[in-house]
Amino acid sequence: MDILLLSQMAIASLSAFLLYTFIGFIPGTDETSVLVPVSLALVLSGTPPIIILTFFISAIVTLNLTNAMPTALVGLPGGVLSSPMIEHALFLKNKGLSAVTIKKMAAGSLIGTLISIPVSLVVANLLAPYGTIIQPYAPLLFVIGAIFLSLIGKNKLLALLSIIPLALLFQSLRYLYWGMEVVPKDTTITTSFFLGITIGPLIISMFSLLTKEGQEAMLTDQPKLITLSKKTSGRQTLNPFKILTKSELKSASFAALVSNFFFVLSPVGLIILFGGAVGNRKKDLVEKATTSITTMSALAQSTYLSGIIIPLIALGIPLSPTSIGPGNALFNAPPVFTVDNNLHHLLSRSEFIWAILVGALIASTLSYLVINRYAEVISRFVLTKIPHEAVLGLFISFILLLAYMDAGLINIFGVLLIGIVCGSLNKMGVNYGIQFMTLYAAPWIIEKLAHL
Amino acid sequence: MEESKKKLVEIWGDVVAIRSLVFAILFSSFSTMGAFFLAPVDDRSKQLFFGLAGALIGFVLSSIFIKPKRVIMKPSLQDEKNEEKPKQEVTN
Repeated sequence: MDILLLSQMAIASLSAFLLYTFIGFIPGTDETSVLVPVSLALVLSGTPPIIILTFFISAIVTLNLTNAMPTALVGLPGGVLSSPMIEHALFLKNKGLSAVTIKKMAAGSLIGTLISIPVSLVVANLLAPYGTIIQPYAPLLFVIGAIFLSLIGKNKLLALLSIIPLALLFQSLRYLYWGMEVVPKDTTITTSFFLGITIGPLIISMFSLLTKEGQEAMLTDQPKLITLSKKTSGRQTLNPFKILTKSELKSASFAALVSNFFFVLSPVGLIILFGGAVGNRKKDLVEKATTSITTMSALAQSTYLSGIIIPLIALGIPLSPTSIGPGNALFNAPPVFTVDNNLHHLLSRSEFIWAILVGALIASTLSYLVINRYAEVISRFVLTKIPHEAVLGLFISFILLLAYMDAGLINIFGVLLIGIVCGSLNKMGVNYGIQFMTLYAAPWIIEKLAHL
Repeated sequence: MEESKKKLVEIWGDVVAIRSLVFAILFSSFSTMGAFFLAPVDDRSKQLFFGLAGALIGFVLSSIFIKPKRVIMKPSLQDEKNEEKPKQEVTN
């Protein structure tokens, strides 16, 4: 590891920290939509693989903590992972305990990172020998993954029933483009389809604005009322072991440790499951809320880190919701990365460890300090300067851009179609994980279905 | 159109004005795709970078022209002592 490369990695990590600190504070910025375009741009521009990984690790570590800030301070979800925290964060806020919430989140997040990096590296090493055995079965594993996620989801039957029609939708668009010679036969469009799934629920909300009933249901006569306490973080201790009580520390560490072994499950699902479980054991309401918040913050880090580290090192195929979603560009970004030639194949074991350590160390230290000192200042700036309209406009432009780049004008409507279908299913309870798995499983499903 | 000028709707957890939302989407889309078409046609990564830069410009400009529909309230002194009695501080 030479000094030049190391300093480039440090710069990558620092840029990710700065960019995602800002993005994290903006309410409602979905993790996948903000991570994929930027990491994709890095991959396509020919950035060295080790720098890409450093950037990405730093980005998720920063984002997972800063996303919790709007939740703690104003009760709006910063991203998908912080939505389970809202209930507890609002309870503490109404008790005037926002300052405590922020510190507990930061400390929990630090614990989650500290535990999950070594543990997921060990798990990855244990699984690695089986990686080559597993890889040929990847398409089948995606099908199993989709079925499995359906069975543990909210609406099991609906989710199961939606798998084949969705696969049919994805493949029919791909074959249409090939047939119309929009893209060459060896190009399989994934990125923009995938963002179509992500943006689905937003598209459905916007479409319902176009109907009279829908608009009336969403109409409101006043702006969003937000209370933001001014002086919440003084010059108190920064020692995470003093910020957390022994029992919080135990709950957070235990949850973070265990979650590494469940890297194939959805992060938000694990957060709700484990975070709720440890909280429910507390009788005192405040203690219940702080324990849940701490544990959930730790889980946000551990589920994302294990979900990206283990599949990257051990498997080389995106077999977890984190890698198939936000980390998609690290596995599959044609023409640079494909499922047979990506970070897994390009980086050595020691390069993996260096990238992960540098990215996580810089991001967690800096975000911990910044959050403890400046959370309110940044939040106030974002809430008074950044309109929600601009955020939604940004998402729509990302989709337009990536859809057009993938397959031209026709694909903008193709992605819109995917958004409408997937968004409707999402609103009915078929979660993202199932839809992403189906996108990857679609060629296999349709191939088998057609020749039955 | 006249009627929807001041129409506020709640979408994705926050409040927007329909007119501003339409403006932001159109504006960002144009700046993004405009920048995209300025990039050299044969360079995929440059196209993506130009596009993302365009999206960023659209985002910054929409943020300048559109005011957030949020009212930030400051908790009163008692609030620090566990009372919920916010008083208004900034109105947009």
